[in-house]
Amino acid sequence: MTDGLQFIAFSTVNSVSSGTQLSAPLSTQSAFLLEYLPVVMLFAIGLVISLAFLVMAKIFAPSSPDAEKISTYECGFNSFDDSRMKFDVRFYLVAILFIIFDIEVAFLFPWAVSIDKIGVYGWAVVMIFLFELAVGLAYAWKKGALDWE
Amino acid sequence: MFVEMLPAIAFYILAATAVGMAFMVIASRNPVHSVVFLIGTFLASAGLFVLMGAEFLALLLIMVYVGAVAVLFMFVVMMLDVDFVEMKQGFLQYLPIGGVVACILLAEMILVGAASLVNPGAGVKFAEDGTSNIEAIGNVLYTEYAFFFEAVGLILLLAMVGAIVLTLRKRDGVKTQNISEQIARTREGGVELVDIKPGEGIGS
Repeated sequence: MTDGLQFIAFSTVNSVSSGTQLSAPLSTQSAFLLEYLPVVMLFAIGLVISLAFLVMAKIFAPSSPDAEKISTYECGFNSFDDSRMKFDVRFYLVAILFIIFDIEVAFLFPWAVSIDKIGVYGWAVVMIFLFELAVGLAYAWKKGALDWE
Repeated sequence: MFVEMLPAIAFYILAATAVGMAFMVIASRNPVHSVVFLIGTFLASAGLFVLMGAEFLALLLIMVYVGAVAVLFMFVVMMLDVDFVEMKQGFLQYLPIGGVVACILLAEMILVGAASLVNPGAGVKFAEDGTSNIEAIGNVLYTEYAFFFEAVGLILLLAMVGAIVLTLRKRDGVKTQNISEQIARTREGGVELVDIKPGEGIGS
């Protein structure tokens, strides 16, 4: 795979130097996409293995379902309720808080990469941003939104 | 030759997956399945972002949307105790407003396509040569777009405060441990010595 990548990179350089402008972007794109070949292979392996589990269970496992076997079993008596019961709204609050801090962290990734380019100004900007969210965290903490009673 | 066709093949696979999954989101009867198909749509869109060279956006899409927003949708779906047969009947009722939104989106897509036809050279450019995607974003996000960035922080703060105000309920009668109260307890507050005369109780 590494050989293929180098070959494509060289061919890109050649096409640029020889002046064929049309094929140059495509080649760089292909070379860039070939870096994702391992990811695609990983997906393919995962797909094959997970499908193999399902298919092999379908083929080899004995299966003779009847109405009593596949009905919901709840300690002998008939089930009281649907299994899809309502969630408490507090789960939603936890999820919202998680998303907000997730996005905050996502905004810090580019900062970590380019902190030496953007200097003190960029640092101060990010610190103000962090302060804004720290205020939010303090508010959530004070209100008891982080507690689970 | 095959390598040159690779982006096109990948694009058609990913685009078909995204469209098919998006259709299944509204077509599947079980809302939990809808959310799972929505995750599939996000993943295919992330693949399309990678195809355009926007690696950082692709990974962000997976991290934020697949990792957090899908979980939120799942919670919302499980919190709603709705009769889904009844909900399907309201489909025609929402058709006009849904059609308006769909027409606006279609017009936007046509405009974008027409713009690229009129000016074919103006493609989406994510990064200068030699800098990675994330670096290109970081170089402008915290300097040129600093005020927008701070506005994002304020919006996130607002979202947090709003969610807390709307959903936080203090329930009465919940027995919780208050550690500082426990530690602050002294002998004076906790013990009382009572002289009991013989023959009488401590009837208050």
